[in-house]
Amino acid sequence: MDELVEAFAARRPSGLEQVYALWSRLFFSVARHVISDSARAEDCVHDALVRVWRGPNRFAGNREMLKAYLVTCVRNESLATLRSEGRRDARELKVARLAPVSAVDPPVVDPVESRRLQDALGRLPEEQRTALTLAYYGNKTHVEIAQELNVPLGTIKSRISMAMRKLQTDLASAEGTRS
Amino acid sequence: MTEHLGENAELYPLGLLDDDATRDVERHIALCDACAERVAQAESTAASLAAALPVASPSPALERRLHEFARSQLGAAKARASIFRFALAAAVALIFLGLGWRTLVLQERLKTEDVALVTMVHSHFNHVSMSPESPNPVAAKILYARDGSWMYIIADKPGGSLHAIAETARGTVDLGVLTSTGETASLLVRPSERIRSMLLQRAGTNVASAKLAY
Repeated sequence: MDELVEAFAARRPSGLEQVYALWSRLFFSVARHVISDSARAEDCVHDALVRVWRGPNRFAGNREMLKAYLVTCVRNESLATLRSEGRRDARELKVARLAPVSAVDPPVVDPVESRRLQDALGRLPEEQRTALTLAYYGNKTHVEIAQELNVPLGTIKSRISMAMRKLQTDLASAEGTRS
Repeated sequence: MTEHLGENAELYPLGLLDDDATRDVERHIALCDACAERVAQAESTAASLAAALPVASPSPALERRLHEFARSQLGAAKARASIFRFALAAAVALIFLGLGWRTLVLQERLKTEDVALVTMVHSHFNHVSMSPESPNPVAAKILYARDGSWMYIIADKPGGSLHAIAETARGTVDLGVLTSTGETASLLVRPSERIRSMLLQRAGTNVASAKLAY
């Protein structure tokens, strides 16, 4: 097992500190995209990392899997905080970004990876791309998306699920081509 | 087991599920390898989506908070470890004292159990800290022979009667209740088949668990 993953899974303080040192900007960027208040976004990152680090863990894979798992936890913590505080209003919600990268918004990761993502998103069927983009970049629930697009809820869930799987295949294929 | 997750595997890492559905997913993937793999792949894809987010840096205060938390846990872990070391040393000392006394007084009457204890003390063994579960967990450790012939479970501050449930290739086995001495509770078992994982329950609630590697 990867040394970092092992340290984190074994609940060694060094595991928590290394995870933070490596991915703190990524975690905070994910939280900050959901919650506009920096202090509350930091609380979400803190609470998610501490909760995962202390609790029963399910990761036994590699470093990238741990990163993805923690990003999910930070996002879910942020969304749960936002929803529990009942502040899904115009001030708190980010406007859905159908073109999320712009010249004034530097990406969290390297430009090559960001470009690959943009290309992969561009290859999705439009209805799937719209549903996924509203969900992730717009922080909307599937119920809200269904209402906004005037499409049945089950259809929205299917579109998002299919979009995720296509994106996964596309990114894996691009990764294979690059390596 | 309930049916597989289906589309919820992709909705979960996007944070689209409500609390109940989220808990259902987490419970399910703890038991279903196929769905755990599907969720892990979806998590990886969701993490890739973050590549298009505007970058933001946390304040130094967050790093300080996490650092202080990590260090405080290190202190707590050391305190727990010292309790375990004391309990283990006491247990081994009692075994030796008991054997020594019997050897002196009843040397010709050594029984099978005594031989087992001698075997335990001199054999190669592993140890594992059990993962805490529930809001009111218990700190516990398991020492076990690498050949699976014996197992010693010890819990710190049990807070009530603790029940040990083992999982083997043929299903779950109820090992009974740990013997409590107030500050600690323990149980020595000699399983007839290899134990893959162990669960401690207090009043029917899971409070600690561990997987065993041989």
